[in-house]
Amino acid sequence: MDPRRVRAVAQRIVLGFRRDRRSLGLLFAAPIVVLSLVGAVWGSATERVPTVLVATDRFDLPVTIVNNLVGSSAIHGRRGTFDEGVRQLRDGSVDAVVWLEATTVHIQIEGADPLESGSIGGAIQKALTEAVAAGNLGLTGPTIAIEQLYGGADYSILDYLAPVLIAFFAFFFIFLLSAVSFLRERTTGTLERLMATPLRRGELVLGYLAGFGFFALLQAILILLFTVFVLQVRYRGNLATIFIVEAVLVVGAVSLGLLVSAAARNELQAVQFVPLVLLPQVFLSGLLIPVDQLPQYLGPISALLPLTYANEALRSVMIKGYGLSDPLVLRDIGILTAFGLLMAFGAVASIRREVA
Amino acid sequence: MRRGDLHYVSGEEPHLADDFAVVARDVRKRFGALEALRGLDLAIRAGEIYGLLGPNGSGKTTFIRCVAGLLRPESGTLTVLGQTPRAAVTSGRVGYMTQAPALYGELSVEENLRFFAALESVPHADQRIEEALRAVDLLDRRQSVVNTLSGGMRTRVSIAATFLHHPRLLLLDEPTVGVDPVLRHELWSRFRRLASAGITILVSSHVMDEASRCDRLGLIRSGVMLAEGSAAEIVSRASARDLESAFLTFAEAL
Repeated sequence: MDPRRVRAVAQRIVLGFRRDRRSLGLLFAAPIVVLSLVGAVWGSATERVPTVLVATDRFDLPVTIVNNLVGSSAIHGRRGTFDEGVRQLRDGSVDAVVWLEATTVHIQIEGADPLESGSIGGAIQKALTEAVAAGNLGLTGPTIAIEQLYGGADYSILDYLAPVLIAFFAFFFIFLLSAVSFLRERTTGTLERLMATPLRRGELVLGYLAGFGFFALLQAILILLFTVFVLQVRYRGNLATIFIVEAVLVVGAVSLGLLVSAAARNELQAVQFVPLVLLPQVFLSGLLIPVDQLPQYLGPISALLPLTYANEALRSVMIKGYGLSDPLVLRDIGILTAFGLLMAFGAVASIRREVA
Repeated sequence: MRRGDLHYVSGEEPHLADDFAVVARDVRKRFGALEALRGLDLAIRAGEIYGLLGPNGSGKTTFIRCVAGLLRPESGTLTVLGQTPRAAVTSGRVGYMTQAPALYGELSVEENLRFFAALESVPHADQRIEEALRAVDLLDRRQSVVNTLSGGMRTRVSIAATFLHHPRLLLLDEPTVGVDPVLRHELWSRFRRLASAGITILVSSHVMDEASRCDRLGLIRSGVMLAEGSAAEIVSRASARDLESAFLTFAEAL
């Protein structure tokens, strides 16, 4: 193993991308654009206040409580009849209709969007609890106060998404670029030329890891700066730990790219591998849906995906403030390292000197 | 004419590794159903320009790739500079030029050469790069990005990259394909200069008129050696007018 040859390969990659503005744009500008969009969509911690019609003709409770409910700050309350309410619900001018039947409070909502249904229900529940408590009728129900161990009420979805987006971008772009770069080595004949020099296959893979690792590091720094200073994502935890997780993840991403390039004959085919590698990780790695909420039979698949561990580790570090001393973070880094090494050895094996 | 008579027209068997840069004995290589080399024998003397001549698909590239350590023959022996092919490459004594210029298009000429120099651990790389660029007459284009160069210039850069590390053996796979007559003439005088500096050159071609520029030739077809020797020897041995008809005579006898 000659470090000078490894360095030469890494340098070759970095120099090559210096003149490839499009790829650099893909690597650095694309995450910023996507993050800005995510920030605009999910960045706000305040939820929409639903418009609720209180059906006074079916609300047999003291008038103070009805007044309290309509005036609650948790909802935009208005009065009306039940029939008016149903009509307005259909045309979309109210989000919910509330009425009382026997001892049960009924909330009628549109219900097409489960996420919205939950937040409307929650707002009305809050408004009702306040209204009853302020009615001074001795009817106080149990008060529930939720205190969060990590994060806080002002944490937005973006704060929860930012750590996993760092991992996602690193994995996605570095995987894609390394796959296409190595495919180019195969198709233009430079790989054959390299194999007819003293360069060893392990040195070639290490050079690729170093070269793309350099870009991954720059990308991670850029994404972190952007999310923390522009999108104002809250983050705790140690910066060095974030980069360690990122580094072991990138080893796997580059090596997987090299492996995929062995299975593809041209760049089009290489790109077709992207959904296969990426989509399972979008849905099953905890990026959008928490891993423990997945159907049980998907668990083993989730456990095989590197992003599952990167997401868990980065969330532990950035939201919970865990450090390298935490056994969970250490375990995740260990699994990611094992995955990276496995892929790297696979990549070395895939570069056969016999490239007939 | 028996097949055995065709080998070693000059009559000598290669015994000493020092005298021969490449010695192949009954080398066989197959790709699935295709038998690319069917017991190839040849011997290249140290310091000569050896032309491997044959039609497309005759096994020229397969043999050169075996010599470059890229393919492992199924049987037979292949000795390169007294070593196994890969050992000769690893010790930095072989330079290989692929059929199409294998360069990094997004790097400059100098960056490409610097990269290959680093892979071969070339000492005094700056000096060697300058010397190689002068040899292929591209000193003024050293900062040019390879993608902006003409095909002929790329071929010259590719050649420069093969002798940066002062190899003992140069493998040139059809270096003059798609090259205009002026540049072809230039390239051959460059090869001659390298040979007179003591470098052995194995050059493949399917153009018979390039044969006269080689010291000795090997005519191959379907992965076997038809005849080996100087152009004049081969022509007289076949009692033919020229090399082309000699080739046909030997091919019919196969």
